[in-house]
Amino acid sequence: MKIRTREKSRLTVATLAALLGSVVGLLASGSVFANKSLVELQKSEANWVMQGKNYSANHFSTSTQINKNNVKTLEPAWTFSTGVLSGHEGAPLVVGDMMFIHSPYPNNTFAVSLNEPGKIVWEHKPKQDSAARAVACCDVVNRGLAYWPGDKNTPAMIVKSQLDGNVVALNAETGKVYWEVETGDISVGQTQTAAPFVMNDLVVQGSSGAELGVRGYLTAFDMHTGEMVWRWYATGPDSEMGLDKSFNDANPHYGQKGLGIKTWEGDAWKIGGGTNWGWYAYDPDLNMFYYGSGNPAPWNETMRPGDNKWTMTIWGRDADTGLAKFGYQKTPHDEWDYAGVNVMMLSEQKDKNGKMRKLLTHPDRNGIVYTLDRETGDLVSANKMDETANWVKKVDLKTGLPIRDPEFSTSMGNRSHDVCPSAMGFHNQGMDSYDPNKQLFFLGINHLCMDWEPYMLPYRAGQFFVGANVWTYPGPKGDRQKGIGSGQVKAYNAITGKFAWEKMEKFAIWGGTTATAGDLVFYGTLDGFIKARDSDTGELLWKFKLPSGAVGHPMTYTHDGVQYLAINYGVGGWPAVGLVFDLSDPSAGLGAVGAFKELAHYTQMGGGLMVFSLDGISPYTKDVNLGEYEQ
Amino acid sequence: MFIKNKKQSDVVTRKSLLSKCSLWVALTFTVLSPVQAKDDLPDVLRVCAAGNEMPYSNSKQQGFENDIAKAVANSMSLPMEFVWTEKNAIFLVTEQLMKNKCDVVIGVDSGDSRVLTSKPYYKSAYVFIYKADKGLHVKNWNSPDIKNMHKFAMVAGSPSEVMLREVGKFSENFNYQKSLSGYKSPRNKYIRLDPKMLVDEVLYGKADMAHLWAPEVARYVKATNGKLKMVAAPEFETLSDGQKVAGHYEQSVAVRLGDKTLLDAVNKGLQKAAPQIQKILNKEGIPLL
Repeated sequence: MKIRTREKSRLTVATLAALLGSVVGLLASGSVFANKSLVELQKSEANWVMQGKNYSANHFSTSTQINKNNVKTLEPAWTFSTGVLSGHEGAPLVVGDMMFIHSPYPNNTFAVSLNEPGKIVWEHKPKQDSAARAVACCDVVNRGLAYWPGDKNTPAMIVKSQLDGNVVALNAETGKVYWEVETGDISVGQTQTAAPFVMNDLVVQGSSGAELGVRGYLTAFDMHTGEMVWRWYATGPDSEMGLDKSFNDANPHYGQKGLGIKTWEGDAWKIGGGTNWGWYAYDPDLNMFYYGSGNPAPWNETMRPGDNKWTMTIWGRDADTGLAKFGYQKTPHDEWDYAGVNVMMLSEQKDKNGKMRKLLTHPDRNGIVYTLDRETGDLVSANKMDETANWVKKVDLKTGLPIRDPEFSTSMGNRSHDVCPSAMGFHNQGMDSYDPNKQLFFLGINHLCMDWEPYMLPYRAGQFFVGANVWTYPGPKGDRQKGIGSGQVKAYNAITGKFAWEKMEKFAIWGGTTATAGDLVFYGTLDGFIKARDSDTGELLWKFKLPSGAVGHPMTYTHDGVQYLAINYGVGGWPAVGLVFDLSDPSAGLGAVGAFKELAHYTQMGGGLMVFSLDGISPYTKDVNLGEYEQ
Repeated sequence: MFIKNKKQSDVVTRKSLLSKCSLWVALTFTVLSPVQAKDDLPDVLRVCAAGNEMPYSNSKQQGFENDIAKAVANSMSLPMEFVWTEKNAIFLVTEQLMKNKCDVVIGVDSGDSRVLTSKPYYKSAYVFIYKADKGLHVKNWNSPDIKNMHKFAMVAGSPSEVMLREVGKFSENFNYQKSLSGYKSPRNKYIRLDPKMLVDEVLYGKADMAHLWAPEVARYVKATNGKLKMVAAPEFETLSDGQKVAGHYEQSVAVRLGDKTLLDAVNKGLQKAAPQIQKILNKEGIPLL
């Protein structure tokens, strides 16, 4: 018996990497080798080698085969079930002829052939301590894989994070474990949900569990060996946070030395949170990378007086040493759980004075979209993602400080009404996109507000319970009676601060957007649609109903001359925690259950991948005998 | 409204507990009574009670605090009624008493600043519970036998948790502790562990020891007919940083802030009913201090 395979385009991951390696290897050597190779790989539209598509994390494809004139003819080309329910965040990777698919806990990984779509080349199914599930705050999601192209002595690898805190590197060709390290300890509330991020020959992995009093940190491991290279914390002494000597020299008013301790009461920084479970971007020219640290702990702000630095901070760090060149704290002394770990998108644009600048744009949980000079940390613009954000009047660009509206502050024992955004943020874990030709960012937005009442209940014999009553509901532009109108999609210009267009959505746009040079922007919805809009006008051009709601982002790749569009389905994550755990108390899941109760009328749990192409063309339509038993 | 200055005894116990349990400032909040203070006693004594919070209380009135309520009302010469809630008793003060749905809560820590508390009607202790036939001797958290133990049944957010961290057993015990609540996430949701289940964990050898508030488990330990040993913890255990964690607590009846007349009547009633209360507690098997 023989399985028939196509003879042409048998370029495997390894040969592709070797090919690139031999080209690049002539120009460079040593540690930059792998990095350059990854830079080359991401230039090709045949690949989607990282969650952000490229180091700029702009989620923008130059492919035009699918465009606004023909997008209506998109049809399913092939599908894949992961066999796992729960929220499927992130997107698969494509390198050469292979697609790498991940799942939520138990964090299974599949390498699937693109020449015979859906055929599993290898799989990795780890065994994990079930206690990890109990520590995860909001469903057992995972935001995806990372790829390292290997070098002369070390094979190409797929890197994954597991809920139980382990980071695992798998041989990309065989799926065999190459190394495995522990980055978090579930016994103290640390779990891993974020995608690892590869730059040069390092892979960085963040931390989560701020709700349980973890002190956030970021760790870099050597891809060759899995050995830890450095680890820097979000709070505490400067030496443990990895502050460069020149830290914030360009913007001393952001704060410089000693603040990781001084802005806390007593030893509170030791359990102060600031975990980072979000996304990264990297500028190979500056050799700097960017990410956000999350909310301070505990939630109840009365228990941690001070600015709580450096939680809620946009970090710019050196990619070799991890030392911080700048840090800008967006929400000093957070009162709303506006964890600042969201996507960082890099662009090169002229500022208002016509000066070309290297920029970083970050739509934050707190409802502000920030644009910084990514070399210095200078604040270029900071605008409300939606004018209904009310905890802040505006951000003072000179001081960098938010001007707060005390009416929407929170404090223990008081119920604050109509606070916008809700704790889920106007923007959460979605990976958004930037079209450099149109100079527009396409933002998937949660239009959600809340009532918030933190409390501490003493009980008898010295026992107590700390919690919060949270009621979450659509923002003022939505329909609170019906519980819909909780999402928006907007096209934003970071220089003018203007929106080219904006559209309301039935539910929050949780997974983010992907843009293409075909004048299109794609995204998935919680109620289970994948949609395409005209990126110039926002006009809805195409949609398809998926088997279950989408909380991941779309990706696109070209294989054998055909452009494909793919998206994970599988409703879950924080917004759908009510569906996943069958909760009915509206304030459960930090208010998510009440906010998204309507979802159950549109979708149920699922888990898998759908791939589309024009007219549904695929290797199987090109050759119906592909993969058949050969007589 | 926040009150930072509390009675010293309360600060010692709760603050040390909080600081070790990831919370740093001991705060309690006071909500003003929504009704005017009453000069007259009510016609009927409305007792705030949880419908499913054994061994304290249930809607079949099988809890020992149900008996205490009846004894006190009787000695006050007032007709009484239970006002039931399906919510856990941890919410009785904020959601029942403060909202004027009822008049008294039986069984709060003496000095709870959210309410007025009566004179203590008994004092008891956290207890170490372990199998009687294993030759173990545990009197406090420094007892050498604890070094060889791995699984501990306890209540999250309690002094037991502080001590488990102090003796370096918290991490090791984490998975087991989570299994007791079926791995449910406690985020933003109070989860009460069934005290009988906790006792059974020790009885059937699943836990090496339990450390629990005696009144919550006394009847279940008593029912094992001596198979389990129950040893009162000392009044204080001292942490390595010098802070003290209380092991003994006094219990009171709570009325709303301002209900001074009712409080006086409750205090008189408690005094008069003292012998009956003693009988109820003895029957329960609660060690009294």
